[in-house]
Amino acid sequence: MTTTPSTVRPGQPIDSPWAVETHGLTKRFKDNVAVDGVELLVPRGCAFGYLGPNGAGKTTLIRVLLGLTRADAGSMSLLGYSVPRNRDRALARIGAIVDEPRFHGHLTGRQNLQLLAAAREPAAQGRIDASLDRVGMAQRANDKVSKYSMGMRQRLGVAACLLGDPQMLILDEPMNGLDPGGMLEMREMITSLVAEGRTVVLSSHLLDEVERTCDAVAIVDRGKVIRQGPIAGLLADSAFELQIDCSTPDRAGTLLAGTRWGTGVEVGPDGLCVGLAPGTGREVVAEVNRLLVEGGVSVYRLQEVHASLESWFLEVTTRLGADQ
Amino acid sequence: MTVTTVADVPPAHDTQGRSTDHRGSWVPNAAMIATRIMELRRRRGLMAALILVNIGIPVVFLTIRLVAHAVAPHSYGPAGGYDIFSSMVAGVLFIFGFIVAATLGCTAGSVDLTEGMFRHLVVTGRSRLALYLARIPAGLAIIVPLVAVGFAFVCTVCVLAAPTQLSFNNVNVPVGLSKPALETWAAGHADEVICNFGFNIGPNSELVQVVNRVPCGGGNGPGIKIGPGAPTSPPVSQAQIEDAARQIAAVNYTDYSGRFLSPSLSLMIKSGLWIELYAAVGFLIGLGLSSLMGQRTVPVILLIVLEIVLTPLLSHSPITHLINLQRALVGTAVTHFEPGGLPSVFGGTHNGATGVAGVTETTTVAICVVVGWVVVWTALGAWRMVKRDA
Repeated sequence: MTTTPSTVRPGQPIDSPWAVETHGLTKRFKDNVAVDGVELLVPRGCAFGYLGPNGAGKTTLIRVLLGLTRADAGSMSLLGYSVPRNRDRALARIGAIVDEPRFHGHLTGRQNLQLLAAAREPAAQGRIDASLDRVGMAQRANDKVSKYSMGMRQRLGVAACLLGDPQMLILDEPMNGLDPGGMLEMREMITSLVAEGRTVVLSSHLLDEVERTCDAVAIVDRGKVIRQGPIAGLLADSAFELQIDCSTPDRAGTLLAGTRWGTGVEVGPDGLCVGLAPGTGREVVAEVNRLLVEGGVSVYRLQEVHASLESWFLEVTTRLGADQ
Repeated sequence: MTVTTVADVPPAHDTQGRSTDHRGSWVPNAAMIATRIMELRRRRGLMAALILVNIGIPVVFLTIRLVAHAVAPHSYGPAGGYDIFSSMVAGVLFIFGFIVAATLGCTAGSVDLTEGMFRHLVVTGRSRLALYLARIPAGLAIIVPLVAVGFAFVCTVCVLAAPTQLSFNNVNVPVGLSKPALETWAAGHADEVICNFGFNIGPNSELVQVVNRVPCGGGNGPGIKIGPGAPTSPPVSQAQIEDAARQIAAVNYTDYSGRFLSPSLSLMIKSGLWIELYAAVGFLIGLGLSSLMGQRTVPVILLIVLEIVLTPLLSHSPITHLINLQRALVGTAVTHFEPGGLPSVFGGTHNGATGVAGVTETTTVAICVVVGWVVVWTALGAWRMVKRDA
């Protein structure tokens, strides 16, 4: 991923491949640096996960991007528009939920959407029914929001995002409050939105959900983006294991102990496990197999087990914490 | 989940990427105002409270008077009439109209923040100033009719249930007499006039000798003031008594001519516009103050204290060292525009009436004070809305 800043012309979007582009973005609250020189590049037309532990600065970054609060330093552009200069033009093409979705409780879901649609273009009023239908809230649209569950308010928040037919959606913890069925529906909806060519930026601490939903991620910790890129690429660069099911695990362990992979060999009740360093090529699997067979060990199964996003995330953030 | 495309509706921007809805403009569109009216109107608790205070109090008060007069007309006077109208307008509608409007303004200025809708609205890309300004016509569209309904009820009762005879100093006098006609009428009711009408005469006046000869139920009438040393007079003729009554009526004509059975159309229109002005001012101040503070409760309390405590205290009579502060009160400034014929809201007198002088100021100063309050609070509220974190 390159980090060359794009040239921005006043009032016009640049032809940028990035839906979100930030350089040195910083936001301080007195002595606390909530967003610390963030360099973020979100490709267009994908589901992008913005991951971090609680208090990492995820929501603050989103608030800065959307103009809900001001940045102290740095530059940013949304959909090619330099913001805050062209904030209204950029936000006309963006739908967003920030924090817990809250609405006027004395109004119905539909009336809340009417209030929001009125602040958008006139055509947004015509999208209310479709938006409610899409998030599965058509049947409850005329109930007061005060009677909604947290999950229903989340859905209504997504419906509010869709009112502007957005090119990009920024969803802050959209899975909060959803039951397993609701999470599945939300995943499907995000996938379908991306399939329509929209960009979805998803902030979450639910790593499993992000791994299932997103194509690319950025890991944020203590206000800094510490890794970003396609999930597959990031995981490929992480350490992985080779699980071996064989006739004599002890003998196999002895055979491998004398090799360059020896320090990572563990013999357990489920068989033999060999830890491999990041970047190790697949030819190692064949080499291990040949070594064991030549040593008289019958090999029934060899399986590469890559780290999950969760274990990788913990590995990265723990390492960063240890470094500091 | 049913998948329905939202992209069937035309987008908000043309092919060159220009916004087609003037989203960055500070001018709110009609839909924003209409939906804001809906949002405020559907606050049932608030609306019920506002209606109760602004319409309910006059309705209850006048209904009780109507019923009481119907049941015991000799014990209870008519429910309507000029006196009731002036008391209701200056004593109830003016003050409660302001409080009701200020409460609505404080609600309009703060609920988006406290209920979490402000960030949804900001994320639409709409100008924050437009979001703020949309509340002004929306709130006025609610408060102006609300005040008008309460006022219209008072007007209706005061006109339809007005007394048939004017009670002037406890004497039933025909209404609308010219000065000669009043003098003629007084000659025909000389005893009542002499015993009840107010007048001030010196101890050696010839009139004293006449007045002292008229029996007024154990003494002189309540309005008669005679200087010390008045001599005991010989008997007087009926012609002298009638002439004295004419003179007393002439003295009282100015006061009499300002009394009516029911409020005139002109007075009602002026009074209506006056209380609407104050309500609108109250709404705008409440809107600005609550937007500035980001909450409703404290601004409402502050404005009630201003209206019920501070303004009456500081407006009653001039205090030399605080005269500019007194003139700077919005309540004082608005009372400068109070229609003639109404009693002073905060005590003292106005419009050149006789009595203890209230705080006076020129019309220019009064206009500047009212405009200043509205502009300053509106600007502060708008500034905070534009600058605050959402």
